[in-house]
Amino acid sequence: MRKLYLAISLLVLASMVLAACQPQAVEVVKTVVVEKEGETVVITATPEAAPAEEAGPKTLRLNLGPGDVPTIDPALATDTSSTQINILTMVGLTRQDEVTTETKPGMAKEWTISEDGLTYTFKLRDDVTWVKYDGTQVVQVTDCEGNPRKVTANDFKYGILRTLAPATASDYAYVLAFALKGAADYNAGKTEDPETVGVKVIDDYTLELTFNEPAAYNAQIAGMWVAYAQPSWLIDGDDCTEARGDRWTETGFFQGYGPYTLKEWVHDSYITLIKNPFWPGTEDIPQAKIDEVTFTMLDEVPAFAEYEAGNMDATGVPLADIDRVKADPTLSAELEIAPVQCTYYYGFNTKAPVVDDVRVRLALSKAIDRQGLIDNVLKGGQEPAQWFSRPGLAGAPTIDKFPDLGVKYDPEGAKALLDEYLKEKNLTADQLDLTLMFNTSSGHQKIAEAIQQMWKDNLGVNVKLVNQEWKVYLKTIKGKDTPQIWRLGWCQDYPDANNFIREVFSLGGSGNPDEDPKDGVPDGGINLLDEAFEAKVREAARELDPAKRVQLYAEAEDMLVVKNAAIAPIYWYTRVTVTKPYVQRTFSVLGGQEAIYKWDIKK
Amino acid sequence: MAEQLQALGRKTTAGGAPLTATRESLWKDALRRLVRNRAAVVGGTIIVILILAAVFAPFIAPYTYDGQILKDQNTVPQWILNLFPVMKNYAKINNNYLLGADYVGRDLFSRIVYGARVSLTVAFIGPIISLIIGVIYGSISGFFGGRVDNIMMRIVDVLYGFPTLLFIILLLAFFRGTLARPEPGTFSYSISQLDAQMGGMLFIFIGIGLTAWETMARLTRGQVLSVREKEFIEAARTIGASNLRIMFRHILPNIIGPLVVAETLAIPGYISTEAFLSFIGLGVNPPTPSWGAMISDGAQVIRTYPNQTIFPALALAITMFAFNFLGDGLRDALDPRLRGTQ
Amino acid sequence: MGRYIARRLIYLFVVLFVVSVITFGLMHAVPGGPFDREKKLPKEIMENLNKRYHLDEPLVMQYGRYMYDVMIPHFSIKAPTSSLLDDHLFNVKVGPIWIKWMNFGPSYSSRSRTVNDIFRDQLPISMQLGLMALFVALVIGLPLGILAALKQNTIFDYLGMSVAIFGVSVPVIVLGPILIYIFGVSLKLLPPTGWGAKPPYVLGFLPAKLDWNFWKYAIMPPIALGLGSSAIIARLTRASLLQVIREDYIRTARAKGLQERLVITRHALKNSLIPVVTILGPMFAALVTGTFVTELTFGIPGMGKYFVTSITNRDYPVIMGTILLYVVFLVIANLVVDILYAYLDPRIRYD
Repeated sequence: MRKLYLAISLLVLASMVLAACQPQAVEVVKTVVVEKEGETVVITATPEAAPAEEAGPKTLRLNLGPGDVPTIDPALATDTSSTQINILTMVGLTRQDEVTTETKPGMAKEWTISEDGLTYTFKLRDDVTWVKYDGTQVVQVTDCEGNPRKVTANDFKYGILRTLAPATASDYAYVLAFALKGAADYNAGKTEDPETVGVKVIDDYTLELTFNEPAAYNAQIAGMWVAYAQPSWLIDGDDCTEARGDRWTETGFFQGYGPYTLKEWVHDSYITLIKNPFWPGTEDIPQAKIDEVTFTMLDEVPAFAEYEAGNMDATGVPLADIDRVKADPTLSAELEIAPVQCTYYYGFNTKAPVVDDVRVRLALSKAIDRQGLIDNVLKGGQEPAQWFSRPGLAGAPTIDKFPDLGVKYDPEGAKALLDEYLKEKNLTADQLDLTLMFNTSSGHQKIAEAIQQMWKDNLGVNVKLVNQEWKVYLKTIKGKDTPQIWRLGWCQDYPDANNFIREVFSLGGSGNPDEDPKDGVPDGGINLLDEAFEAKVREAARELDPAKRVQLYAEAEDMLVVKNAAIAPIYWYTRVTVTKPYVQRTFSVLGGQEAIYKWDIKK
Repeated sequence: MAEQLQALGRKTTAGGAPLTATRESLWKDALRRLVRNRAAVVGGTIIVILILAAVFAPFIAPYTYDGQILKDQNTVPQWILNLFPVMKNYAKINNNYLLGADYVGRDLFSRIVYGARVSLTVAFIGPIISLIIGVIYGSISGFFGGRVDNIMMRIVDVLYGFPTLLFIILLLAFFRGTLARPEPGTFSYSISQLDAQMGGMLFIFIGIGLTAWETMARLTRGQVLSVREKEFIEAARTIGASNLRIMFRHILPNIIGPLVVAETLAIPGYISTEAFLSFIGLGVNPPTPSWGAMISDGAQVIRTYPNQTIFPALALAITMFAFNFLGDGLRDALDPRLRGTQ
Repeated sequence: MGRYIARRLIYLFVVLFVVSVITFGLMHAVPGGPFDREKKLPKEIMENLNKRYHLDEPLVMQYGRYMYDVMIPHFSIKAPTSSLLDDHLFNVKVGPIWIKWMNFGPSYSSRSRTVNDIFRDQLPISMQLGLMALFVALVIGLPLGILAALKQNTIFDYLGMSVAIFGVSVPVIVLGPILIYIFGVSLKLLPPTGWGAKPPYVLGFLPAKLDWNFWKYAIMPPIALGLGSSAIIARLTRASLLQVIREDYIRTARAKGLQERLVITRHALKNSLIPVVTILGPMFAALVTGTFVTELTFGIPGMGKYFVTSITNRDYPVIMGTILLYVVFLVIANLVVDILYAYLDPRIRYD
């Protein structure tokens, strides 16, 4: 009996240890205070249950994808989930239109540019206040005298400097570091004087930014989340506010000023945003019509099940289910395929055996039946890519103007090229030792398997498939072990061909890396050293006449995908979504940054 | 007290019998009883058929496992359409493929036949490794007890402390990462070549092998602990039997039943470990088929093309049934107390 | 016995030490770092990140720093701050002194959270799910195994075992979507995904309210997860019980005229549970610390995915945290198993 007693007491002890893991009242301090509310239910929008006349609040339920949103702190955001929340809860000086990609006014009503094109003076709106959700409703944040706190130029300066501070260790601070005057030194810790950074408060509603280059994208960078206003009193504390430091974005603490504000963030589960009635509403960023938006964090397949069960208002379609969706009368009517500014491609290591011959590379590229791949494997209505910079970007060639630019499916041409090579080397096709590497994922695998078969059918070559886990893969394709053929995708940071062909494939770009810039020799990726190509993309970036610019980029693309055949562009991305018919929405081309303040629900 | 004495009395006579019985008869007996068990025979037959199918896969499968005909992708034969009428709206009919074709137009049936190779190898290698290491380790630990037991079990605890899957994932990331493209002629080169030849199974075996035996060792030890204190062991000891003899003649036959059962129970675990690794993308290299990979691939289309999940899952289930029936049969056959009965 | 337990607990720390060294070495040996991206970060940005997370120090120092923060209680007169680098599981104030213990570090991939946050918010959900799954496994597995053993070679036996084998051969990846489709999408009886509890939790891991809003989420996942384990339990129980009821003391008990029911419940059952209990230790640890596939399929915000994503993200503190957490659960569960052995079979002695 004693032994049983011991066993039980041990169990009790164990449960006490476990219980102690949770901060408890009295002597144990809680680091996070979660507002306790009446209901614990996940907000759902059940269309059948809603009454005919709009009585209750309009709610929307969307999915962000699996895993917790990494952060909603604009200084730290790097991914689309985080920035989706950022653009709704806060507004930058400018805002990129999610459909046309034009730069529109945001918190700045207007701005003037100095003659040298370096200094931008932004006139801020004076009718925007900081708000927070107090557990029952959205209220204005007040200062120590009890007056509403307006969003001022100081808040923007604080935000920019906080993003740049070395201690913040922000990834995307590099955007500000390369664009803003003095920002790089401040970010690298070479100086601790914030006044050396090109951000100056003229008065409460006037902010002056000084840039390094007179570039067209300066106004876009000023509108990026890394340059949002941030609440210094909340983060660092002041006379009447407790400092929340790194925790300022949690439920109950968060303060914002955008068309929505944070109501609840249940980590790993969902984020609920609530309409900010104090947002004045502008032409480009109107007051929200939908009262509450809940973003779940589900994998695509369960999210689609929720959609079919009527609990989700819009979601991505798992590509595996697309045949059924297209055949279903209801779902097919709700289906929408929208372009996304991304390109999927295979890169060739131009220094590796076999593919060091341009004929082999071009043969492999021409032997890919891109439309067949799209119709049979991808099924998302993607566009076959003939070159790298996705049409729709500023400066990028378009199919209707350049129908014959780049590569197309041409099995005979491919075979002829390869035969020439084989004859010269006195080899047969099956003797070629080729390896295609991709990062582990069933999607990439399907594409690789299909293309492997096309190469076998059209050229008779047996290409080995190898996959590596993502982080290992990234190391591999950027070093001396870069395989003969590898895959990557590229999505826009800003909508310009410069962001594609030059930033990826010129020497030192992410697809043509140069670990040691002094030697001027690429270290992996496509391993391409082509002075003519480098000169062409530099010339195109400087060209001001749009038509000439497109022509220059077309020539550069021809060099990349035909003359050098350093890559085989595969397809231009699309996004396949279903939306319930009662949701009026826009489709963002900016990689999932939806302008939900423009949406409405009409039942 | 009377009960104890009585038990002790009976035990000496019952336990005394094997001491004088001939050595071979134990296993002969076991085989005889196994053959008499109808379920076990069926299970064994299925496993033999599966092994033959795996070995002679090229002669059985009508297509190769990697031959794609893109235009035939996701097609189904008429009889499956009759089985799942929901597919009528969108599925293309193609009676060339017995069970349908997958997402790139590969014959499902052929892939299932070839997939038996991976799954059966995993199903056999896992238990063999874990039984050999685990039983030897566990019985030494349990039999000698005391300090030996303590030290050996703490070592197991340490190894056991690793979450099996996590350890395998880390090991796979490590092996495949560091041995990605080594120089020819080096040890790591031969290892990675061997892995490539095995379709990426080698590292899975190493992962499973390094982590699976500890369960068996613990289980064996637990069993030995309970048996070693039994009266018939004490009796054997009093008549001067050696440690080795006691271990192999008296203890092992008495505990092998639950161990075999546990091992047949662990087989689904090994196969599903492989399936899980496939699910997170660390399984065998494509296009090498494995049931686990096929099930996890198919599970994504389970509502649209249920045939792509159900048949590999069925193959897996049949294999499980077979292993379990055989395991049961083995247990009954190896139980010395059943000797002479039935 | 008391000394035995004390020794085992001390040994827990030895295990933790060894496991932590191997894990630390292995995870740093795997190529790729936490901040490697498709778009390579400039050197200065990497330096800031490495500095913030002390990744610029020698590995030995990083390890030492980590273990010091996790294992050694810190005494300070400063109150805990809201910095993610200073988040301890235990913060106790004794007089003017703060005792802070167990800082598992910040997450590298969730930039606004710490490993302790994950333990506080996600572990309770995994524990709720895991305990219910274990309950399902026992409730289905034990009776099935006992029935099969007592009615060996009858229809009950074959049917019961067939159910058990079926349970173990249908993986959650298949069973999950089927359950979701039938009960969530078609019949709309239950929500397809999600979990009905969120922080704060009672006693650190129990949901605050046990009403239908909780239970409706907690029906399908425990069944899907527990079914496989129930099969293992059923078959082990059957095998073990079959062996035990042939033991002489059972014959003796029968011979002295004890009722069959009492023979089974008093003598046979208790002894036959040893192998079952053995398997329960690791099963418990595996179930309550999170299950990747089940959580992904049913959209449950538990710990499971962190075991996998932390490795793919090279999120070093989360890898270390999850592994050490698992080790603690496992060692304690095995300790309880050993103690249960002694209770089930008094002839097993610990000295």
